[in-house]
Amino acid sequence: MRLPDSVTGSFLVVLGAAAAYGGYILPPVPGQPVGPNVFPLVIGCGLALCGLAIVFGIGHSFEEEEELVPFEDGQAAAPPPQSRLYGLRALLPPALLLFYVVAADRLGFIITAAIMVYVTSTALGAKWKLALPLAALSPFAIHLIFGKLLRVPLPAGLLPAPW
Amino acid sequence: MLKTLIDAFALISTWEVIISMFAASVYGLVIGSLPGLSATMATALLVPVTFYLSPIAAIATIVAASSMAIFSGDIPGALLRIPGTPASAAYADEAYAMTRKGQAELALGAGVWFSAVGGIAGVLSLMILAPPLAEIALSFSTFEYFWLALLGLMCATLVARSSPVKAIAGMFIGLLVACIGIENPGGIPRFTFGLTDLFGGIEPIPALVGVFAVAQVMRAMLTPEPPPLPRRKFGSIMAGQWRLTKLYHWQMTRGNIVGIIIGVLPGAGADMAAWVSYATSKRFSKEPEKFGTGHVEGLVEAGASNNASIASGWVPSLLFGIPGDTIAAIAIGVLYMKGLNPGPTLFTEKASSMYAIYLMFIIANIMMIPLGIAMIRVAAYILLAPRSAIMPIIMLCCAVGSFAIGNNMFGVVTVAAFGVIGYVMEANGYPVAAMVLGIVMGTMVEQAFVTSLIKSDGSILPFFERPVAAILAAMAIGALLWPVMVWIWRKVKPVQTAAATSR
Repeated sequence: MRLPDSVTGSFLVVLGAAAAYGGYILPPVPGQPVGPNVFPLVIGCGLALCGLAIVFGIGHSFEEEEELVPFEDGQAAAPPPQSRLYGLRALLPPALLLFYVVAADRLGFIITAAIMVYVTSTALGAKWKLALPLAALSPFAIHLIFGKLLRVPLPAGLLPAPW
Repeated sequence: MLKTLIDAFALISTWEVIISMFAASVYGLVIGSLPGLSATMATALLVPVTFYLSPIAAIATIVAASSMAIFSGDIPGALLRIPGTPASAAYADEAYAMTRKGQAELALGAGVWFSAVGGIAGVLSLMILAPPLAEIALSFSTFEYFWLALLGLMCATLVARSSPVKAIAGMFIGLLVACIGIENPGGIPRFTFGLTDLFGGIEPIPALVGVFAVAQVMRAMLTPEPPPLPRRKFGSIMAGQWRLTKLYHWQMTRGNIVGIIIGVLPGAGADMAAWVSYATSKRFSKEPEKFGTGHVEGLVEAGASNNASIASGWVPSLLFGIPGDTIAAIAIGVLYMKGLNPGPTLFTEKASSMYAIYLMFIIANIMMIPLGIAMIRVAAYILLAPRSAIMPIIMLCCAVGSFAIGNNMFGVVTVAAFGVIGYVMEANGYPVAAMVLGIVMGTMVEQAFVTSLIKSDGSILPFFERPVAAILAAMAIGALLWPVMVWIWRKVKPVQTAAATSR
């Protein structure tokens, strides 16, 4: 997901301009010179300026090359991606969270959670011997902590928890 | 004073506080020791749980978990050369070199001992600095708050280990996120795109969980699994620590002071403190040639420093609602949730709660010694847990935790969205800490800014009229211009040196 600075910078220019315009068209508070429109206007302009600076490479010399992709676990850079689709694996976690949003009410917490755990675990290289028991047990453990102890109303769906 | 202290003792000596503190300590130690799971992430995932605790117990869990996680990041650093948290990255090589020389006990013992000492030094700074600052802060008007907030945001961009322009951009993105919702001076829906879910604005906590936890799972998808830890027997862990304390007492004190200062600065936290202190230690050491070959001196100073920054990061958080680091940013969210709104009046109206926080920090740092030793001994077993078993659980906690904050599925969408934002920003060199600061401080900055503008009635003079405001303004503008000056200096300097050599 490393994009050229010109791309991210241009995106920021557009975002900043949109924010400034969005702020500008907000209705003012009657009888008040400053209202909800001022702050987005200032921020939008600032963001657009930053975007421009990034496009033109200002401040690039401050970036330390090895800091560009800071892996928190101190690993060296990832192995060369096998294919174009390899990078898309990173989108799996947010996709699973959205799946949870859509499916949890219908399938219930236990089933949805089990699917999430199984898919994440397999994607990280677990064999079914690990992924299957994990997917079977961890939803119950989480349900016990959050649903039972902390009383979070987790959806029951097709398979309610046994307590 | 004595009565407040007794009240504070009464507040923390309940079973709820004791149990939650112990559980949070163990949790912090485990999460901190697992490579890739940072102290900030440990704290962020804890927030949904704190929701169901009493205010003091909630703060206790955060205090305990964050202090423990910062120490326990040293363990895989020393044994595997993989820092458990970014705060241990500065000296992981040094600690690993010691392990190879057969001094793993000394390296890890120094981690525990000087972390605990540093933590206590940090609390002392919080106890000494906060009350007099609260006195001064009581006379602050919106102008001072505006400049203070701006100064805080600028500091965060200055200390980022990246391009300052990208850091400022990250901060603006955070402020823009804070604009969403109807909580603005006009009370009208702003940037909600007609979605009722956005009317309440973006909750900072799910955003933080997304940026720190989901983004980390996303990175894990593309990075190889760290190697397993070789099993080994440890000798006495605390042996020789007292000798080190006497030998390196000056380094330890310097580490504490540097950690405290960096902790107080908004946006700069434990990882920055460790880097700076390790570098200082090497710079002023009598035997700098030993650094990198397994020399304990740098470990002493950096270990004392990163834990000191944890407590002192609470100074600006409690006083002004300006987070000293990302962990304090989460703590501020919890403080608001629990009705302990940050501000100088906290120290007069809720003095016993403040003393309770000090006491909990001290207790957590004392508990760190026995628990830390136990953790070092069992670390080999915990680090056996494969990443493919831990990350799915983290995912579940993200989903359930973000749902629990408002019993609302929109929280889960927020987490997913900010996971992507955090991942993309990090991959492209935009510091996420700056954005987090923007999100947490946005509402406060806007309020101070707009109220000041209304009061000044179009004139710019009142922003500089009051003496404190003028000083803060000068500092904020200086911070803004600093990168520009460095940039110009760097442009000019090569020309000069080139001219000098050609002569």
